[in-house]
Amino acid sequence: MAGLLQRLLNLDRRWIFLFVLVSVATPIVIPIGLPVTTTGATRSAFEFVESLRPGDVVWLSFDYGPSSAPENDPMAEGFMRQCLEKKVRVIVSALYPLGGLSLANASVAKVSAEYPGAEYGVDYINLGYKDGAAAVMRRLGDDIEGVFPTDVSGRPISEFPIMQGIKNIRSVKLVMTVATGTIGEWWITQVHAQFGTPVIIGPTAVSAPKYYAFLNAGQLVGMLGGMKGAAEYEKLLAAKYPNLGAFYGKTLLFTATKGMDGQTVLHAVILLFILLGNIAYFSNRSRRAGR
Amino acid sequence: MNLEFGKVALVAIFLLVPFAGIALGMRAPSLRSKIPLVVAFFAGLIPIVSLYVPKRFLSGDTGMSPRLDQWLIIVAGFALLLGITNVIQNSTKKITRRAPGWPYAAVLLAGLYVMSAFAIYGWWSGDGIGIRPDGSATPFQWVYIAVFQPLQATIFALLAFFIASAAFRAFRARNTEATILLIAAAIVMSGRVPLLEFLAFPFPFLHGAAADASQFMGRATEWIMDVPNGAAQSGIIIGAALGAGSMAIRVILGIERGYLGLGKSE
Amino acid sequence: MHFVGISTWLAALLTLAALSFLYKDNPFFRFAENLFAGISLGYYVGIVLNQTLEPNLFTPMREDFLNNWDLIVPGVMGLMLYVRSVPRIGWISRYALAIYVAYYIGVEFTRKIHGEVLPQIARTMLPLNAFDGPTLVSLIFVVGVYCVLIYFFFSKEQNRVTGPLARLGVWFLMISFGAAFGFTVMGRIALLIGRLNFLILNWLYPTIGL
Repeated sequence: MAGLLQRLLNLDRRWIFLFVLVSVATPIVIPIGLPVTTTGATRSAFEFVESLRPGDVVWLSFDYGPSSAPENDPMAEGFMRQCLEKKVRVIVSALYPLGGLSLANASVAKVSAEYPGAEYGVDYINLGYKDGAAAVMRRLGDDIEGVFPTDVSGRPISEFPIMQGIKNIRSVKLVMTVATGTIGEWWITQVHAQFGTPVIIGPTAVSAPKYYAFLNAGQLVGMLGGMKGAAEYEKLLAAKYPNLGAFYGKTLLFTATKGMDGQTVLHAVILLFILLGNIAYFSNRSRRAGR
Repeated sequence: MNLEFGKVALVAIFLLVPFAGIALGMRAPSLRSKIPLVVAFFAGLIPIVSLYVPKRFLSGDTGMSPRLDQWLIIVAGFALLLGITNVIQNSTKKITRRAPGWPYAAVLLAGLYVMSAFAIYGWWSGDGIGIRPDGSATPFQWVYIAVFQPLQATIFALLAFFIASAAFRAFRARNTEATILLIAAAIVMSGRVPLLEFLAFPFPFLHGAAADASQFMGRATEWIMDVPNGAAQSGIIIGAALGAGSMAIRVILGIERGYLGLGKSE
Repeated sequence: MHFVGISTWLAALLTLAALSFLYKDNPFFRFAENLFAGISLGYYVGIVLNQTLEPNLFTPMREDFLNNWDLIVPGVMGLMLYVRSVPRIGWISRYALAIYVAYYIGVEFTRKIHGEVLPQIARTMLPLNAFDGPTLVSLIFVVGVYCVLIYFFFSKEQNRVTGPLARLGVWFLMISFGAAFGFTVMGRIALLIGRLNFLILNWLYPTIGL
């Protein structure tokens, strides 16, 4: 047994890689459909958006890139769907330099196609990308037009009905930042702290543990932590809005809920690896101590 | 011409002083490291003081602070492109000297020039760099979809393999601290996904117990995240923030000069 | 079988080239890696030129120079940053660096104090004057924060009192790092799931007619 474990530990890591690849690919080919349970942080985020009224304006910031798109895209798109269902108006921006703009463009195009009744410039608008996130956030507290004089395609924002009466970020009811890295944190520690605008964050799972401190301090009104948070959000949306329930149930496109099957399988594999590694370590240690 | 006090003061501090400093620096090299610190002092002080001093020339709509914010959005754009000059210089050197790996440097430059050309075309023609009104992709967006997005996503996806390999080879309960870390990791990993339901999947008689156990693990995970993790993260945030605050004061007062390429003695 | 677009094929082949690194370092991976580096730098050119410089610098100066004449300054400062590549006059870029770094450090200072220190300290001010479950949880929280801060106090050597408290702080940190590991695993797996979803559902299945 000890010899077998030792051989396993010395295994070429490429076999481990292959095992991981097969473990993740299998639930994609043969979906399992494991259940998703919701947590308080996600429910708070969902309920806050539900409390908004038709006509309210919210700000959705794409502060992530393709490196975290499988986690963050479902959050951003789910949020936009919930807003458009409730006739809450959405201002979209991107502050992450490496891909944020293109992801915003793609997600806005995708979700707006699902809501043909929603009109660009009235129900939603894409302001595009801007450099210098911290300076942008400071300026948004006074004057949105000073930072984003045009929308993503270069048209002056004063032409659009959605921006009438929205002079600065204080006029917005909520900021939803879907983020990787520190830009999401700046919405909390700068925009919320200095202007009081409520913030929901959709961080990657890697950053999520840090945001529990902000959540507990009341600096956030909700959080969607990683792919699990996105899957929970999809579940809440499906339960509340039957057409979204049908959409998430039937769509061939990638959703966070579908991704949770692969997450579960690979979590089991990694826990098994940790267990085997430690069994081998302790059996080696006791053999050496016995000599 | 708009000659509000805020704008004029900003131009005086951030254009005239640097130009005077450059002129003096040409004659007296010792001043090359001193006058930038004056500029840094004001650049760091204005955003801080404007938060507490509600004077129109400083923090009003047309004051120094809002205008400085506007300026730094533009400077940040230039700064983002700073690495390109370095990369072009190094890659060109590699190619001309036929250093090992020079074909890859050529690939890098080709990618840079092609994407930049599409970017400049989008800007110059007004076509933009996103999705056109008719739903078609501009050349810039096409390259993003076909090359940039898959490569960035895949390069980061490789980490999943390495984390699995590291879990197998390196994650050991060698001492008390490592054991605590391991137990916390195991609880959180089990609580975040329906692991027990997955393991009980082939055994229908265990489904109910697995669901209950899974709920318990979920609640245990939430408690760990809220209480011990929340406490540790709060401590880290407070400590790091105080450290960053003291570093900010050192930079603004000119004590810390490393960012200018200067040592303490210069 | 139906036609899968060229962009999907290119994306799939580049994905496989990047994944080939798992077997061993090879020319396909090196090609993909360097292509990615070049394209990302070109991407920066696109977003800066189209989304920042055009609407925030060029257009205001072109259309309303009298009100926006001061934008010359950030333009000059931005260009000054590049002077550092010229060895003889590289020192001139210190002015641009001074403004850029010091400004963002000033903003960082206010952000840290207002947004991190004060709210997090306020969070630890919890009532501890009852003997019940929530108070016990609050006590654990407060003890955790203080012990972690004591651990991070490196200016003075730890003694018989602070030593054990710092050790307790380390245990809290280990729980936090263990939780972070659990979350990190999920984060990294998510990226792989996304890529395999693309390869299998968006490329392979349509190519073979499924």
